Amino acid sequence: MARPSYSSKKRLLFVLGVVIFISTFLIGRLGYLQVVKGEELKKGALEQWTKGITIKSKRGIIYDRKGKKLAVSVSASTVWASPADIKDPDKTAKEVARILNLDEEQVYSKITKKIGTEKLKQWITREEAQELRKLKLSGIEIVDDNRRYYPYGNFASYVLGFTNIDNNGLEGIENTYDKYLTGTPGKWVKTTDAASRQLPFDGEKIYEASDGLSVVLTIDETIQHFAEKAAEETHTLTQAKNVSIIVMEPKTGDILALTTKPDYDPNEPRVPLNEATKKQWENLSSEELQKRWYDMWRNFAISDAYEPGSTFKIITAATALEENIIKPETHFYCNGFVRDIKGAVLKCSRWYNPHGSLNFREGMNTSCNVVFVDVGRKVGKETFMKYIKAFGFGEKTEIELNGEQAGIIPGNIDNIKEVNLATMSYGHGIAITPLQLINAVSAVANGGNLMTPRLVKELIDDDGKVVESFPPELKRKVISESTSKTMLELLENVVRDGTGTSAYIPGFRVGGKTGTAQKIIDGRYAPGKYIGSFVAVAPADDPQVAILVVVDEPVGQYYGGTVAAPAAKSVLEDTLNYLEVAPKFTEDEKKMVAEKVIVPDVVGKKIGEAGKYLTDLGLKYTTEYSDLTSESTIIDQFPLPNTEVQKGSIIDLYLNIKPVEKIIMPDLTSKTKAEVMGILDDLNLNYELKGEGTVINQTPASGLQISTDEKIEVEFGDT
Amino acid sequence: MAKKKSVEKKKAVDFSLLMTTLILVFIGIIMVFSSSWPEAMQDFGNGYYFLKKQIIAATIGLFGMLVCMNIDYKVWRKYSTLIYIVALILGALIFTPLGITLKGARRWINLGFTTFMPSDAIKIGSIIFFANFLANKKKDISTIRQGTIPALIVIGISCGAIYVQKDLGTTLTLAGTMMSMFFIAGMNLYHLIFMAIGAVGLGVLALSGEHNAYRRNRITAFRDPFAYKLDIGWQAVQSLYALGSGGLFGLGLGKSRQKFFYIPESYNDFIFSIIGEELGFLGTLTVILLFLLLVWRGIRIALSINDTFGCYLATGITALITIQTIIHIAVVTSSIPTTGITLPLISYGGTSLMVYMSAIGILLNISRHANLDRS
Repeated sequence: MARPSYSSKKRLLFVLGVVIFISTFLIGRLGYLQVVKGEELKKGALEQWTKGITIKSKRGIIYDRKGKKLAVSVSASTVWASPADIKDPDKTAKEVARILNLDEEQVYSKITKKIGTEKLKQWITREEAQELRKLKLSGIEIVDDNRRYYPYGNFASYVLGFTNIDNNGLEGIENTYDKYLTGTPGKWVKTTDAASRQLPFDGEKIYEASDGLSVVLTIDETIQHFAEKAAEETHTLTQAKNVSIIVMEPKTGDILALTTKPDYDPNEPRVPLNEATKKQWENLSSEELQKRWYDMWRNFAISDAYEPGSTFKIITAATALEENIIKPETHFYCNGFVRDIKGAVLKCSRWYNPHGSLNFREGMNTSCNVVFVDVGRKVGKETFMKYIKAFGFGEKTEIELNGEQAGIIPGNIDNIKEVNLATMSYGHGIAITPLQLINAVSAVANGGNLMTPRLVKELIDDDGKVVESFPPELKRKVISESTSKTMLELLENVVRDGTGTSAYIPGFRVGGKTGTAQKIIDGRYAPGKYIGSFVAVAPADDPQVAILVVVDEPVGQYYGGTVAAPAAKSVLEDTLNYLEVAPKFTEDEKKMVAEKVIVPDVVGKKIGEAGKYLTDLGLKYTTEYSDLTSESTIIDQFPLPNTEVQKGSIIDLYLNIKPVEKIIMPDLTSKTKAEVMGILDDLNLNYELKGEGTVINQTPASGLQISTDEKIEVEFGDT
Repeated sequence: MAKKKSVEKKKAVDFSLLMTTLILVFIGIIMVFSSSWPEAMQDFGNGYYFLKKQIIAATIGLFGMLVCMNIDYKVWRKYSTLIYIVALILGALIFTPLGITLKGARRWINLGFTTFMPSDAIKIGSIIFFANFLANKKKDISTIRQGTIPALIVIGISCGAIYVQKDLGTTLTLAGTMMSMFFIAGMNLYHLIFMAIGAVGLGVLALSGEHNAYRRNRITAFRDPFAYKLDIGWQAVQSLYALGSGGLFGLGLGKSRQKFFYIPESYNDFIFSIIGEELGFLGTLTVILLFLLLVWRGIRIALSINDTFGCYLATGITALITIQTIIHIAVVTSSIPTTGITLPLISYGGTSLMVYMSAIGILLNISRHANLDRS
């Protein structure tokens, strides 16, 4: 038996050494991978093991100041597919496409993707969900989800805004308070094998979502409702491009109502409310459509600057009074023109019949431009600009909405020529937003404090506990208490005796100012396009409400006193009643109110006669008809006869404007004139008879359907 | 002396080697059970499917080991040529209708009652034959005509028989094993230089050409597995994830996530990464130390035997286990490009377990004839 050689043994030991060396390297490598790089590798492993499904947090509610829900989240279902679990993609795609009304090929490509989960359709109906659940398709999941719902529809749209399909706020408070409303989404985590099936251990972890906070607005649903209604009516009546109404509480800067008509329904923010517009949009390209949407969502009240016209005289007046340059009794003279400014002749609106000698109070009442040019020049551009800025013009009000404009005021005092100063004093050559104006007027009314407009009162959690509150914020003191008092008195005069009488409400001391200005489009005055506005505060002795109505491009009538003041009055009256502000009647008003009148029976009387009768009794009346004559007869009235009402109350009268009916035109052939007259009179038709003899021709022809207001022409002749 | 020995009472076997082997086989059974559970459940609806087969193989293997332990190893020398030829014929049977294809590779033959993997027989047959071949050459081994060239021819035949089964990992293992035996037996080190050059040439050949693109891909994936995470780097990345998530202490026995189809056939070529995931660095370290103990005892036996055939046979068996273990762990740790190779004594596979246990039985028998400081 041969022994292994010495060299064999040496080599064996060498080999052992090599093995130990390699083993040491491998141990080192394992230590490096498992211990040193372990955490990093584990992260990668965890990433592939865990599949997370986001649990959406419930979006907070938007409340009005009284706790009414203006925007809520309702549950809706979303369909998801987990492609790994789908056994029969052909059949699944077919069924899903059928029930959800989707394209089968698209569904097929979605459910065969190499992906954990894929969204198939969001917010399906309850019926669809039920039908789908019944089929029990493996790999198709129906997840309950939340959808934003605005119970009032197109109501305060420009305040609330809306959210996108993923519940992210896009406009309005939904956007600016998105962070708070959204909350923190949770996650549903499960560990799965390589084919996305859940593993037997670890189970699943659910990280609960924390729901969003709710926002309490300063908006009062009831007042907003008044404003919406008035704006809608004004919009219909004036056929204006935009009608904006803002109601503010002067002392706090709280916005009680803010609306612009036409608006949109935040439930369907991309669908115009107007049928005609909807038709028009059908054929637009997607870019065009996008542009229209943004136009529709544009908040006129804060995003559009306009030339205010005479409403701005409030600022001029407040400045001059505060600087002690004038007093209400200061004497002025209006000859219709201002001729001593180089390069321009400025006209008073009543240049054809100048105001003549008048004091400032009267100048305010009549809105005399000559007086205000005089006042502006006395104040001087430096002081005037100081106050314009102090009242917040030319800077954003910092309201919690996106898209606010700062307006345009002269940037450099040296560039203000005399003519600029003069026109500015009656509100021309300056651009402001509606919100800036009402905020400034609120400052004039509340004792001189310019506030930051407040739209959000507080944030509350699910249990209604206040998490954060935003108290009213004083920006700066602009004028003194006494100037404020004087201004209120002057404004009250305007409504009682001046251009603002259509906003007069007996018992409530309303102070206001009208404004009318030609629109500037592309830097030029646009002919025939006006903005009529009216700003008011009430009651004048203790202002509770400030209101601004802006009517943009009304058709036909355009004076602020005509187009805007009635809306302001209606909102003010409703609001003051709603706020339970006790009416205080003046002696005259008291006399009127104290005297009770029994409502007479005017049914059957001619309107002319009845109107005189009612007026004599100290009552007012309204009719809804524009084309009535004094011959129209009354067919109904409200309140009913023999009701006791206060003197000065309004009686609604309904007139017998003939309702238009459709009848069949009778055959008049061969009838005599007397017969024709008899037939047509019986049918209550208007007619014109031509010629003599028997009927040879009639328009319209017999048998046609005609309206009772159509005129019938009948020709007679010899046959 | 030989006479004296024959009358001597039989010495005891190397107890440490025996225990180490049994412990490794036991660990193997547990780990095969753990790592095969998900696939067994999915494919057979029976989580114990692979466990059962492994326990049967281990039992037969234990029997084989006990038998071999008690057969004088010199018997193998007598029949070495016959054994070699039978093994080669078994290998050739793959290409007859008896051969069956499993998971895309034609590596098994059907014996009717069970399947059998001839590459394991070729391995052990080659070792026995080569040990005899080298022992017969004596001093001539260092010559080129009598030594190197004939040795390389034998190695070529053995490796060729495996290479035709498209099993590069096993081919390299066997080549390494036989080269180790050749080296121990007194290979001329100058010839080694030429053999190294030849090996490089073969390596280049194995990587070039259209049909070897998959091998080049493996090298690309080896360089930066995470860049090819979703395709060619998948296995390497998954193995690293398994090791990494095991950390120092492991996720706990049975708690591997990676065995849930992230690592395909985790009970085979990547079982070591599942050990790493479930038992942590401490687990992998223990297994490596057990293997080192086994290698050390194997080399001790080779050193102590006063018989060249016994020495070369012990060297061959030890080298086979060592090289296969090193390649498996190196693949799992991304230390070399991926090649499919099982972990001896631990991975699932009946033929392999039975053959290895029997081989260790031979090794144990050699230990009886060696002058060991038995511990």
